[in-house]
Amino acid sequence: MGKKDEKSQQGEELVKVNKWDGSAVKHALDDAVKTCLLGDRPQLKEQFGLVNTRLALCALAVSVAIMAHAWDFTHPFPESRPVLLFSVLAYFALLGILTLHSSFREKGTFAVALQKDKERERLWEASSDMRKYDDKYLLTLSVRDTKNGKRREQSSNKSCAAFIDQNGIVLDNLVANEVNRLFNALAADKKNASSLSSN
Amino acid sequence: MGVASMLQIDEMLGDFNRMNKRQSLYQVLSFAMIVSSALMIWKGLMVVTGSESPIVVVLSGSMEPAFHRGDLLFLTNYKEEPVRVGEIVVFKVEGRDIPIVHRVIKLHEKEDGSVKFLTKGDNNNVDDRGLYAPNQLWLTKKDIVGRARGFLPYVGIITIFMNEYPKVKWAILSILAIFVLLHRE
Repeated sequence: MGKKDEKSQQGEELVKVNKWDGSAVKHALDDAVKTCLLGDRPQLKEQFGLVNTRLALCALAVSVAIMAHAWDFTHPFPESRPVLLFSVLAYFALLGILTLHSSFREKGTFAVALQKDKERERLWEASSDMRKYDDKYLLTLSVRDTKNGKRREQSSNKSCAAFIDQNGIVLDNLVANEVNRLFNALAADKKNASSLSSN
Repeated sequence: MGVASMLQIDEMLGDFNRMNKRQSLYQVLSFAMIVSSALMIWKGLMVVTGSESPIVVVLSGSMEPAFHRGDLLFLTNYKEEPVRVGEIVVFKVEGRDIPIVHRVIKLHEKEDGSVKFLTKGDNNNVDDRGLYAPNQLWLTKKDIVGRARGFLPYVGIITIFMNEYPKVKWAILSILAIFVLLHRE
């Protein structure tokens, strides 16, 4: 198997990654998990709130920088000093907010989906963590009932080699097995309010 | 094994093709943020030092043995500090882009504090009147870009090289830009 994209028997494209690039592996696994989670479950609607916030903060920071540059260009330096001072402070403040947002609010979350039933509304979140030179891919699926705020989560901490073959191809069926296992464990565990984690 | 497959370009392009709209937008914004951060650091230095060009590279050998071609100079331009004879100043002649780094050798000061001064490079035989604008015999405070406060030797040679071979500069910057745009975080 030496080609970049191959058609499998089902006619889907296979994803090949550089297996030695940790961040590419993590992103490929995240994508695979998201596809498996949302693909066969039409009741889950993807929510883009977190990503949109991050994009808006970035866009705001970039526009502050552009505005500062344009102002300085049209009003040569000494006159533009107060505007520049304000822009620089605002820019780095926005960068700080962005860092706080991605460290504390997002925390590795790559998929958020809302499940609306007749009786309840549940928010599903999938997040992952893979340390820099580590092979362990920690996948956490959590569900939160929006009305009573109860939150439960299930994790799986397997090596990324469990989902990717020797040539770097991501094996979707193995990923799907894991995702379904976590999802069913959380979906079935309706009455139980304790939070579980397993390997 | 070709260079391209060693660099895993195929996989990177595959990664890029699979990005959705938001991911692509984030890649572009990440690149823009890197450029903006560099820009904002520069503007921040401008504000802190008061100089329109807080870091300059010495382009000629006219200040040897104090400064050599390729040295990096750190400047400040605080209005309250007076210009004194013997100080090394960086100034721009009206109508010319390139800043010049020379020493103040003569200075006249009026009662109201305004000054006019003459400069000369340590390694030159004549003063700078040949470099000034036609009919200009003295420099004033508004020509000053800043006063030299510190320096790093040799570091500026890269800037000189990039300016003499602009194609190399654009090639390197383009390659860096492509890598940043295609690689996910």
